[in-house]
Amino acid sequence: MDKDYFMSSGIIPPPQPLHFETSMPNPWSSDQSFFNPNPSIIHQFPHFDSSWTSIASSTTAAALAPPSLAADPGFAERAAKFSRFGSRSLNGRTSPPPMSRGSNPPAAELSTPPLKPDGSPPPRNRNSGENSNGESSVSDQIPAKMNSRKRKAISRGKNKDDRSNSPKEAAADGSSKRSKQSENCENEEECNKADQKPPEPPKDYIHVRARRGQATDSHSLAERVRREKISERMKLLQDLVPGCNKVTGKALMLDEIINYVQSLQRQVEFLSMKLASVNPDLDFNMESLLSKDMYQQQLYPLDSSIYHNQNVQHQHLQGTTISSVDPLPLDASLGIDGFSENLPQFPAFTEDDLHSIVQMGFLQNSVQNQTSNMKVEL
Amino acid sequence: MTMNILPPNSSAIKTRFAVKFIQAMKRLSKRRGMGDRYKRYRATRAAACVSMASAVGPEWAWSRAVLRKIKRRRLLRQFRVSRKRRLIERTTNPRQNLGFGQEEDLRGLVPGGKGMDYCSLLSETAHYITCLQAQVQVMADILHRSSP
Repeated sequence: MDKDYFMSSGIIPPPQPLHFETSMPNPWSSDQSFFNPNPSIIHQFPHFDSSWTSIASSTTAAALAPPSLAADPGFAERAAKFSRFGSRSLNGRTSPPPMSRGSNPPAAELSTPPLKPDGSPPPRNRNSGENSNGESSVSDQIPAKMNSRKRKAISRGKNKDDRSNSPKEAAADGSSKRSKQSENCENEEECNKADQKPPEPPKDYIHVRARRGQATDSHSLAERVRREKISERMKLLQDLVPGCNKVTGKALMLDEIINYVQSLQRQVEFLSMKLASVNPDLDFNMESLLSKDMYQQQLYPLDSSIYHNQNVQHQHLQGTTISSVDPLPLDASLGIDGFSENLPQFPAFTEDDLHSIVQMGFLQNSVQNQTSNMKVEL
Repeated sequence: MTMNILPPNSSAIKTRFAVKFIQAMKRLSKRRGMGDRYKRYRATRAAACVSMASAVGPEWAWSRAVLRKIKRRRLLRQFRVSRKRRLIERTTNPRQNLGFGQEEDLRGLVPGGKGMDYCSLLSETAHYITCLQAQVQVMADILHRSSP
């Protein structure tokens, strides 16, 4: 569609280049002044792309060599200005550095990008900040074709092939900032200047670039950000829920998650029922339970969490939440007794360490010294 | 992109929960009017949920919702007033609501899930799952310690 628009505008086959200019769509009308002084430009544009070849056939001198482009001193500059509608990269750039190029290929590259998206983007320009993206993203066909062709025509020694593949891959993948940026770079790199790095627009908070062929209004961008957030959370959940790795797709994952949450809740209810039935017998055991329990988490093989738990417990005991431990001064003896039984089973801990922990935990004496010691040991 | 609050340190939460839960159980066993009844089971379950929620802290929406619910239930039990049900109608984005209404199910499962947007619902679910896992482990430990 864009192509038709493009072609139809251009193919009122003018016998002369000047007529061709006048038949161009509106956005170019402002640039007609650029054309007029240098009609030779028209001849050279079609040289670079097949979409223009029909136009080229209609024009006379289609075989003008690119070097003539470079010969024109003001050409590059004009082309740069001219290309502001079409190339997203040049939008960001205020002063195109055409003068630095004396070489052929850069100028040739310069000329091409103005053409590629030109027909379509200006009317499609959106109000979003990513103006340039809108232009380039709108017409997939033409730019894609043009890009690939230009890349083949213009051998630059940069990773052309990689870049030519990247937009397709980027479009195929989930949108990520990096892929978009690389895609952006790749397109910019065409129109640009080997010397200049494609300047990235300043980033505020979350910067999302529109992918090719995607809408660029703020709503869809925000939606895309939101979708990415959601998929990120889903990945987190996938790690948590066991057995979710095999499942793909959001619906099945959600089912798994719901089942898992239900099963956990049922387990809690079941355990609380059991505890309720056992409870009356537990009165005197509470303290020992408490003391044992506090260290259970550490002593059971919880991998590295063992050490971390110790450390954490020290901090916990130092904190204000220790009040729960305070009213149990009798526990020290019980704790130590219960504890010493467990000692032989866990050779990872020396007796001294464990005893110091107990003293620190229950007697609340010289907590500071011991915790600092413990931390150093850990 | 803004990341989740980091997943909780499960051992810290476990110790906090264990302490509070055992205290609550002690209080429960000392309470009179609790025979070998269904009532005690309900009270135990409530104690488990409350101690978990208070161990987690107010920064998570689901823990706040649990505490609110328990407090409301206690107040209402005193005065025996029928509870008003607040129906919040959420217009779910059709794009997200895939399949068979799983989103609503999830909202029903996670406490306080009805008043959240989908994104925060997912992160709350993740944290809720880790806390439930910790709770199950601690309660199983207590049970095993007490019975033999």
